[in-house]
Amino acid sequence: MMRITVTVNGQVYEREAPGHRTLLHFLRQDLGLTGAKEGCGAGECGACTVLLDGQAVNACLVLAPEVDGRRVDTVEGQAVDGKLSTIQDAFNRNHAVQCGFCTAGMLMSTQDLLSRQPKPRDDDIKEAIEGNFCRCTGYLQIIEAVRDASGRTDGKGGLKHA
Amino acid sequence: MLHDFEFRAPKTRAELLQVLADHGGLAKLMAGGTDVIVNLRAGAIKPRVVVDVKQVEGYGALAWSDAEGLVIRPATTINDLLRLPGLRERFPLLHACAHDLASYQIRNRATVIGNIVNASPCADMAPALLCLDARAVIASQAGEHEVPMREFITGVKRTVLLPGEVLDRVVVPAASAGARGGYAKLKRINGHDLGLVAVAVHKHDGELRVAVGSAAPTPVMVAGLGENDDAASVVAAARAVISPISDLRCTKEYREHMVGVYIRRLLREVA
Ligand SMILES: Cc1cc2nc3c(=O)[nH]c(=O)nc-3n(C[C@H](O)[C@H](O)[C@H](O)COP(=O)(O)OP(=O)(O)OC[C@H]3O[C@@H](n4cnc5c(N)ncnc54)[C@H](O)[C@@H]3O)c2cc1C
Ligand code: FES
Ligand code: FES
Repeated sequence: MMRITVTVNGQVYEREAPGHRTLLHFLRQDLGLTGAKEGCGAGECGACTVLLDGQAVNACLVLAPEVDGRRVDTVEGQAVDGKLSTIQDAFNRNHAVQCGFCTAGMLMSTQDLLSRQPKPRDDDIKEAIEGNFCRCTGYLQIIEAVRDASGRTDGKGGLKHA
Repeated sequence: MLHDFEFRAPKTRAELLQVLADHGGLAKLMAGGTDVIVNLRAGAIKPRVVVDVKQVEGYGALAWSDAEGLVIRPATTINDLLRLPGLRERFPLLHACAHDLASYQIRNRATVIGNIVNASPCADMAPALLCLDARAVIASQAGEHEVPMREFITGVKRTVLLPGEVLDRVVVPAASAGARGGYAKLKRINGHDLGLVAVAVHKHDGELRVAVGSAAPTPVMVAGLGENDDAASVVAAARAVISPISDLRCTKEYREHMVGVYIRRLLREVA
């Protein structure tokens, strides 16, 4: 058992973390932050995506003691005082959410992307979300939402279906 | 739920080697954990101690120099490598292989060295490191020794490493810089996937090399071909060293066929 100190969404937490606890279970069960989802538990689906020191990672493939002294950002940190983030708002306007299981991960991959590349090309967007599976939307609305969040569309959510 | 184990994150190499010496086969090294944690979760490995190498002093350094070449340390992730200025110009093949490995999130964690030690037949970093004459520098309490990459992987998930040893660095010699190269990886889907088969083509100083992944127990390489050899003879030379199998994902005939298709394509592309 190890005592760790970690800053999650700007708040400092000090907790016991056994070696075999994944960051995903630590967030969901020990801190009650259930935004990150467990889809596969094995790095395939991206539903558990969070930022570790600003970089998108699969929380199911990080051990809790590894994050001692580091910064984690989860989807709970995006909205401030009940006001959706620019990214969340764009997902909303562009119908990029259906069942919602992939959404927290998609939002965090997008946050990582836009922090690196405020004006991503479509290829950059596809690369950033290649590790995030969505079984509902077919991805077009999600790509459109990321373009919208980056200011590349008129913001009216007008994806034209062929 | 993972089984109970002790987690250690040594800060110096001496401490790391001591932990390994103390625990022998019961210790499992971990870098990015993208293979180790998957295996822990599946119950495929049950170490008593998991030893994180990423905090060891110096293990995060990644550097190019004209004298030493490219020195890759145990905490270097695939994305660290991709972000290294000048990588694509000096080592286009290394860039192409790294870019084709897994997904963006995984590349933020997966290390180059973990990929090689994991020694999967489909390890995406192996074809480039074979063609580029990379060397593995192995450390233990007994000291350091060097092994050429082409002798490092000995079988499916097997390497020359012994308990108590760590792969301290992989060195890509400066003499390989400027080699032209390309990589083609066959996947079932457009997104991230392990390769069904993969081919690397490398041209340098008049020599042509071809490396093939997922078509034998280890990634394999044919060296000593001439830059101007005709495609049919290059394909024949590659077919002579592979031994593809049929499995869940595709047949051996398909693998063998696609090796030929990719060699021909890459020979046209890598001018
Ligand atoms: C969803 C998913 C997709 C993937 N896709 C691909 C893919 O497309 N291509 C591909 O090649 N791989 C893929 N992988 C496998 C994996 O991501 C890579 O092999 C990765 O490079 C492993 O690096 P790591 O740092 O995570 O290794 P770890 O899991 O930490 O370690 C891997 C092995 O290396 C050993 N090890 C690590 N560091 C050292 C060291 N310094 N000295 C001695 N031993 C050491 C460990 O004990 C272990 O046996 C995928 C994995 C997942 C989960
Ligand atoms: S739950 Fe982590 S990638 Fe699927
Ligand atoms: S909205 Fe259902 S999985 Fe993406």
